[in-house]
Amino acid sequence: MAWLVLRRALWAIPVLWVVATVTFILVRVVPGGPFDAEKNLPPGIVANIKAKYHLDRPVAEQYLLYLGRLSRGDLGVSYKYANRTVNDILSDAFPVSVQLGAMALAIAVLAGVPLGTVAAVRRGRLLDFACMTLSTVGISVPSFLVGALLIYLLGIWLKALPVALWESPRHMILPALTLSFLPCAYVARLTRASVLEVMQKDWVRTARSKGLSPAVTIVKHVLRNSLVPVVTILGPLTAVLITGSFTVEYIFAVPGMGRFFITAVINRDYDLIMATSLIFALILIVSNTLVDIAYTFLDPKIRLEH
Amino acid sequence: MSSTVEQLSAQQPGGGEPPQPPAGQGLVPATWRRLKRITLSYASFWVIVFMIALSLLSWLGVPLSPYAYDQTTSATLSAPSAAHPMGTDELGRDLLARVIYGSRLSMMIGLTTALIALFFGTIYGAIAGYCGGRVDAILMRGVDVAYALPDLLVMILVGVLVGRGTGGILTALGLISWMGTARLVRAQFLQLKHEEFVEAARSCGQGPLALIFKHLLPNSIGPILVALTFIVPAAIISESTLSFIGLGLSPPACSWGTLASEGWRSLRTHPHLILFPSLFIFLTVLSFNFLGDGLRDALDPRTRLATRR
Repeated sequence: MAWLVLRRALWAIPVLWVVATVTFILVRVVPGGPFDAEKNLPPGIVANIKAKYHLDRPVAEQYLLYLGRLSRGDLGVSYKYANRTVNDILSDAFPVSVQLGAMALAIAVLAGVPLGTVAAVRRGRLLDFACMTLSTVGISVPSFLVGALLIYLLGIWLKALPVALWESPRHMILPALTLSFLPCAYVARLTRASVLEVMQKDWVRTARSKGLSPAVTIVKHVLRNSLVPVVTILGPLTAVLITGSFTVEYIFAVPGMGRFFITAVINRDYDLIMATSLIFALILIVSNTLVDIAYTFLDPKIRLEH
Repeated sequence: MSSTVEQLSAQQPGGGEPPQPPAGQGLVPATWRRLKRITLSYASFWVIVFMIALSLLSWLGVPLSPYAYDQTTSATLSAPSAAHPMGTDELGRDLLARVIYGSRLSMMIGLTTALIALFFGTIYGAIAGYCGGRVDAILMRGVDVAYALPDLLVMILVGVLVGRGTGGILTALGLISWMGTARLVRAQFLQLKHEEFVEAARSCGQGPLALIFKHLLPNSIGPILVALTFIVPAAIISESTLSFIGLGLSPPACSWGTLASEGWRSLRTHPHLILFPSLFIFLTVLSFNFLGDGLRDALDPRTRLATRR
């Protein structure tokens, strides 16, 4: 286990380097610089600002300077949020995004797994049809429509919940619900397929014929064995959550990473863009590693040493 | 007696010709017949036909111009009424006309993205699957890398790079949608290329291009078609989401996404402005997803065997 984590950690370094390089090139190729939007600054002052941030150097030198800073854990400074380092901004925004993503993931799994299981057990019946139609609806509805409907019904009409900002647990309910919609539909579909497959195994019939009740068979024998594919997509789902959080954070004015990324791109806030991409890549790597570790608990047959 | 003969000759018009295969045995008619039995998917098919017709209609001209505005206070931000079935926006423009007009860009972007993804994904996957070995391994690592980048990140960066017009959106959407088709075509080719009919064609001296276009591709068309029906809705959602958060198309361009984005600003007071464009997006995307599900079932060889038995 420790060996696995260590190996993955070592692998993460070249992957992050590739992401950093690709993003660096993309960002510098894009026309426009961070100080283009400033109104009527005298050329001398612009030159001074650029010199301060080393933006007057050749791109290759800027790249090496950046990698040097990065290796020391310094993510640079924001050009737009004056006097704030990127590390400082991210230490505010990152926990918010993680909290939002974790809540959405929890809702998705807690609702999706039972929905999928029920659909599989009642295969071909009305309940199955209802669950699967619901999940197709779930993957078809744009998140801004979910957000707008929730805001209108619960926030404006019933006045039950706050519709924006991120101040108390009550503020987190609507964004988390909105974000959980799509992953929940995925989890439900996958659980159904997986449970259907496992239910046809011989040992399930054995469990039933030795007198276990259907409920116990499903929960203790079928479900545990059906969860491997579900756990597998938690990795890609993290990517879906990251992407989804852009929109949800925009809708609900949540001060998380997605919002900073969008404004950073618009403002050409180079260091902030770089740092955000790197963190997204890091989250993907970490979540895939966690998924691999979770396999060993669910299915001892899967050995990770190889 | 004579009536039986008449029936027989009626079944075979032009008695001298070789007997035609019975109707509905080819891939297309058979699939169509099975699709018809899946009610939801069949209904979805007609919803999609309706949406495409709607976007074509907008080229012929919408009775009310989507840009004609009426700024008298009574005409702006009005609720749905007989004169304006979906109400009007803050400039007094008719929302129904704008939604019909918006279907043009939204449907065009969805369908074009699917074609782009189909074209490049098929070429990429065909090369990987046909060559196999080291070429395949290298090409597939490329697919893995493309999958690893978060979609919206790519779309935003490309949007800034290429520009935020229709061209930029199509480039960005194409870049994030080709990988699925590539994987699919590769898997199909890897599986098919050792089949006997391909071996037979090869031993008859057919070159790689003939093998790919006459034998491998036609036999992969089913799964590719299914993949296509799932790319369109994903592209429509991506475009509208991007436009919604202000990083995609922007006015005066008019798509369902930009309309929803405009409606978002007056959600508190006039929810119908975001509701109608969003409902059109939802209905179209839902129909494509249902059609894809149905098409997959209708084309699946296992269910095909089951119905034959």
